[in-house]
Amino acid sequence: MTTTTAPAALDRAERIDRTGPPLIHAEGVWKIFGPHADRVLGTPDADLPRAELRAKTGCVAAVRDVSFDVWPGEVFVVMGLSGSGKSTLVRTLIRLIEPTAGHITIAGQDVTAASSADLRQLRRHTVSMVFQHFGLLAHRRVIDNVAFGLEVQGVSKAERLARATEVLKLVGLEDSANQFPDQLSGGMQQRVGVARAFVVDPKVMLYDEPFSALDPLIRRDMQDEVCRLQEETGKTMVFITHDLPEALRLGDRIAIMRDGAIVQLGTPEDLVGSPADEYVANFVRDIPRSHVLTLRWIMRPPAPGEEDGPTLDVRTTVKNAISVIAANERPVSAIENGRVVGVVDRDAVLQAIAGEDG
Amino acid sequence: MKVGFRKSHVRIGVVAVALAAVGVLVATNAATARNGASCGTVTLNEQAWAGSTANTYVTKYVLEHSLGCKVKITQIAEIPVYEALAHAKVDAVLEDWQHVDQYKQYATKQKSVVIEGSNGVNGHIFWGIPDYLMKQYPQFKTWKGLKGKESIFKSPESGSQGMFLGGDPSYVQKDKELIQALGLNFKFVSVGAEAAQTARWTQLVKQKKPVIFYWYTPQYLNAQYHIVEVQLPKIFKGCKEDAKAGGAVAQYRCAYSTYPLEKVFGAKFAKSGSPAVAFLKKFSWTNDQQNTVATWIAGLHMKPDAAGEKWVKANQAQVNKWLGK
Amino acid sequence: MSTVDEVVGAVPAPVVLEHRPWWRSRAVLSALVVVGMLAGYYAAKGKYGWPAVLEWSSLKTHLDSFQIWLSDQSNETSPNLFFRIVNGISGGLDTLVRWLYDALTKLTWVGTTVVATLFAWRFGGLRAAAFMAGGLASFAAFGLWDESMQTLSLVLAAVALSLAVGLPLGIAAGRSERFDRALTPVLDAMQIIPAFAYLMPVVILFSVGPGAAVITTMIYSVPPAVRIASLGIRGVPSNTVEAAKALGSTGSQLLWKVQLPLARRMLLLAVNQTILFALSMVVIAGLIGGSGLGDPVTNGLNTNPAVAILAGAAIVIMAIMLDRVTEAIAERTDPTRRHLDEAGRRRARMTTIGVLVASAVAIGVGFAANAGDIYTRYTIADWLIARIQSVLDFIADPTTFSFQHITNPLGNFLTQHILLPLDTFLVATPWFVTVAGFVAIAFILSGLRPALVTAAMLGLIGLVGEWQSAMDTASQVLVATAISVALGVLLGVWAAESEKVSRILRPINDILQTLPQLVYVIPFVYLFPISYVPGMIASVLYAFPVVVRLVERGVRDVAPQAVEAAGAFGATRRQVLLKVKIPLARDAIMLGVNQGIIMVLAVVVIAGLASTPGLGYEVVQGLQRNEFGLGVVASIAILALGIALDRVTRGNQGNRRTREDVS
Repeated sequence: MTTTTAPAALDRAERIDRTGPPLIHAEGVWKIFGPHADRVLGTPDADLPRAELRAKTGCVAAVRDVSFDVWPGEVFVVMGLSGSGKSTLVRTLIRLIEPTAGHITIAGQDVTAASSADLRQLRRHTVSMVFQHFGLLAHRRVIDNVAFGLEVQGVSKAERLARATEVLKLVGLEDSANQFPDQLSGGMQQRVGVARAFVVDPKVMLYDEPFSALDPLIRRDMQDEVCRLQEETGKTMVFITHDLPEALRLGDRIAIMRDGAIVQLGTPEDLVGSPADEYVANFVRDIPRSHVLTLRWIMRPPAPGEEDGPTLDVRTTVKNAISVIAANERPVSAIENGRVVGVVDRDAVLQAIAGEDG
Repeated sequence: MKVGFRKSHVRIGVVAVALAAVGVLVATNAATARNGASCGTVTLNEQAWAGSTANTYVTKYVLEHSLGCKVKITQIAEIPVYEALAHAKVDAVLEDWQHVDQYKQYATKQKSVVIEGSNGVNGHIFWGIPDYLMKQYPQFKTWKGLKGKESIFKSPESGSQGMFLGGDPSYVQKDKELIQALGLNFKFVSVGAEAAQTARWTQLVKQKKPVIFYWYTPQYLNAQYHIVEVQLPKIFKGCKEDAKAGGAVAQYRCAYSTYPLEKVFGAKFAKSGSPAVAFLKKFSWTNDQQNTVATWIAGLHMKPDAAGEKWVKANQAQVNKWLGK
Repeated sequence: MSTVDEVVGAVPAPVVLEHRPWWRSRAVLSALVVVGMLAGYYAAKGKYGWPAVLEWSSLKTHLDSFQIWLSDQSNETSPNLFFRIVNGISGGLDTLVRWLYDALTKLTWVGTTVVATLFAWRFGGLRAAAFMAGGLASFAAFGLWDESMQTLSLVLAAVALSLAVGLPLGIAAGRSERFDRALTPVLDAMQIIPAFAYLMPVVILFSVGPGAAVITTMIYSVPPAVRIASLGIRGVPSNTVEAAKALGSTGSQLLWKVQLPLARRMLLLAVNQTILFALSMVVIAGLIGGSGLGDPVTNGLNTNPAVAILAGAAIVIMAIMLDRVTEAIAERTDPTRRHLDEAGRRRARMTTIGVLVASAVAIGVGFAANAGDIYTRYTIADWLIARIQSVLDFIADPTTFSFQHITNPLGNFLTQHILLPLDTFLVATPWFVTVAGFVAIAFILSGLRPALVTAAMLGLIGLVGEWQSAMDTASQVLVATAISVALGVLLGVWAAESEKVSRILRPINDILQTLPQLVYVIPFVYLFPISYVPGMIASVLYAFPVVVRLVERGVRDVAPQAVEAAGAFGATRRQVLLKVKIPLARDAIMLGVNQGIIMVLAVVVIAGLASTPGLGYEVVQGLQRNEFGLGVVASIAILALGIALDRVTRGNQGNRRTREDVS
């Protein structure tokens, strides 16, 4: 009996804590830009397609009636093309942009009702953010940039520099502490951005398309870096991207946005395996299903006597299961928590792979 | 932040040293400041014409060398200077061209300035032409001779009419009204400040071309360019001098009068009992004398101080009279 | 990146492809309006001036009595509290300026020169030091050291106070869109209303002297401080501000730790611009007791024009000197670009100490040698004045070839065939036709709202009784603008295409914009002694550099992709220029026209002082003949005309606010 070791990524799901309340709870969030935006809300106009709404009222609905929960330890990805409202959405979470309507709770605190002092405390201690264009302070050294969040909190100089130095080590920039941002490459600058967000030890990290301005190779490195940080620290993350492979790679769950609304919210498998509509289907068409779908997706209940074949973890991707399944005449058993929950045979694998073309 | 702290440290140091240095300087300055003779400092205002410069620098020389005064010269425009006199920022103006409104406002009503009488010079505004033109057209002796001949004064900006070259906008004038009242076919053309007007007519004179313009005496250029007067209708009772007063054009159908140019003192200065007051009260000279000094300064570009000294040294007797010796 | 933009930009905006037939193009429609106006002119030449019923004729009288009342109040034997406060302010300002002047004098020229040069070297580098030393040396050589120091102390005081007022306002405006919008028209008015109009009230309130001069200067030099500071704060990258907010910065943390340090370079440029604006008021400040270099300019005009030109040159040198030095300091000390390591910082500290020691030594030497009196013996003033005089004599000589065959015929042509016909046209066309015409063109070029504003402004001009003078002025402004734009576009395009031309033009532009207009009018008064022309030339010289600058930038900024694409299709350089760059730079060129008009209007008063009839002449008269009402009314008309012409030519590019970069 052989059991292939599950890749590290498989463990992620175990750190998600769904026992308590969600860490972030967003309900019915709207953001409408433009004159008298509040008057549009609640009228039939709000449901108009964007171009029509804009022509009629001069308003743009950037986020429409978005609701979701993020659980502690989860990596929640919001994916959409540019203009889909994803960056606006993430900013409404900490009210960098005031939502027009809706309700947001983070770590039990009602963000939408928070006073500006409460909001400041939330931003200082609970949530921090990494930006697409880094937003570093050009007039300060790297170390002072990283320490900025602590400085704002009023942490003493010695302590904040010590903590910043530690975090810089974590992102591998300990040698650049005394350099200035414009002396670093883009990738290094974003490491500074990540370190800056990280240094305050927040519960939630928001990433707004953090790597889209970077070269593909560096982007890959940075994704690894984020994965590593996430694994080491178990931080909850909300990650905005327009890059589907990135979303699939990082996300425990992914929300796909279009024109300000979420069109589908689910695990990578959900999206690839059963796209909610044509739009999502088009998105995932080029993704090799075997790389995303796991055995859980293609297994069937075992017929009597089938349960004694080779076993694989139910979370193994089809791609990783192929060699085992192909080498065995008998169906492979998918096990979860030591119990067989289903079996997968060659036909199922072939079907899953064949589906990649259509 | 470390860097900022250090930098600002240095900067504070720089500022402190600079302040200390300046403080010492000011202190020494205050200690050594001259307490001066009994006369103290007299502030004269020099107006922007050569005659005024002549008055100012001749009296300055006397004030400094005979009375031991310290003289400060300001160059404030004609109307604002009344506020300066009222506030005792200026002590005296030695040549004022009959600013009747200001006399009423500041001398009569507010009593903040004092009109101290004539400086001996008589001002007169007139229509001037160069003498070669007068020789060519003897009828230009009076305004009647201009009638029908206006077109010889034609210029690019006057179209088919003749050009009458108006005076500086700051001067008393009524030429538009006169032209209308006399029924002359002139177009009133202003070229702005006196310097521009002078440039214009002197160029025409140099080319021996015809020109008629607003002009006045005492003026050092009159002798150099041989400017003569065209007689305007006689002055009648109630005839007006300055278009500012408004009213029907017929009221302006007369020549400009000749009037003494006034000395104006600030009230505080006038009552101060300084020897300078007595001297400046007596200061008086003739049109020709002023023109001489003005020519030295504006015509020959002599330094005003040097011109004042030269005139005083050559006219010691008159100066002694001013000083009451 | 601002999310709003991202969102809005993503919605495919309905692409307005203007496929208008040629006969409906803006140019043709505007031309039709002009034809209509011409028809009105020929139909009813001179018959309908602005009707007296629509005039508020007692306004001037009211204003006059206001001034008399104010003066009576201020000269009471025991003035009321308001005037006592105001007197306190002016007294304080007087003291401040005198104190600065005393300090500069006591340092002696040796001390001042050495200290200033070393300071410039320490913070601005070698080039800045060279400018500082050269400038100060030339004041001494011109024999104008004292006047220069008076002006310098006046300017320093005015600039310090302008910044004290302007920077906080500008920072507030940079942080609040609403405040910015409320402030802008006030700033515009402060810059367009000619100083002559408010000189007398300032004198009544603040008396004469350096204090009043500082106030007058500030009215003109606060606006650039506000505008550039606001621009600087706005220029701080929004993602940096957002990042700081996301980390929980308070408002003041954001300001002090992020916005101010990052806007520092712009704030220092605000200092630079404030200095230049303050310097351009030197001559006017002289009229109310400001002393300094303004006095020889004003008095020299009548007694010795060569002296006026020499003093004008000193003003320009001071402007260039202070401009280069402050600019160098702004660049060199910018914390976002200058990264000092420990050693560098130590070196800088040592240099500072060295500079301080050297300064102290220089001051000591100056004292010991009693240097205060030495320089006067070595000036080249007389030699220079004689040279300038010979040039003036040459151009004033009506018998020279250039006068007889070039300048005189040119001036005559301009006057007879362009200015006078246009003037007659504008003055004699029935007023309602003129108003309708201007409003129609504003509507065609700029849209409905600008057209309404234009109508209101023209109405205001008529209401205050300045219709005819305003039409005189409008004709001059239009001609001067046309010439400026033609010249500016030509040179601007050329400069954009050739680095060499650009390098030659830049210093010339700088000089033209800082030279007191009164000074460069002088030679032209002799060269073109025809009433309108010298003022017109002064306006053109003042306005065309702005057009050059805007056009040059516009053409240079044309997206390189477009140029590259055109090149890929095998377009020649000429085709690229004519078919790609200039059409794409059309907005910049239109803005040049617009700004050119504003600049020309700014010179109207000075032109009036020197040679040109119209509103400017009346403003001058207002001050010099104590016709306060007339001066104010004419100023209102200038302002209204400025706004009207601005709206007519604005184009529908919305509220483009580029004047700041221009100045």
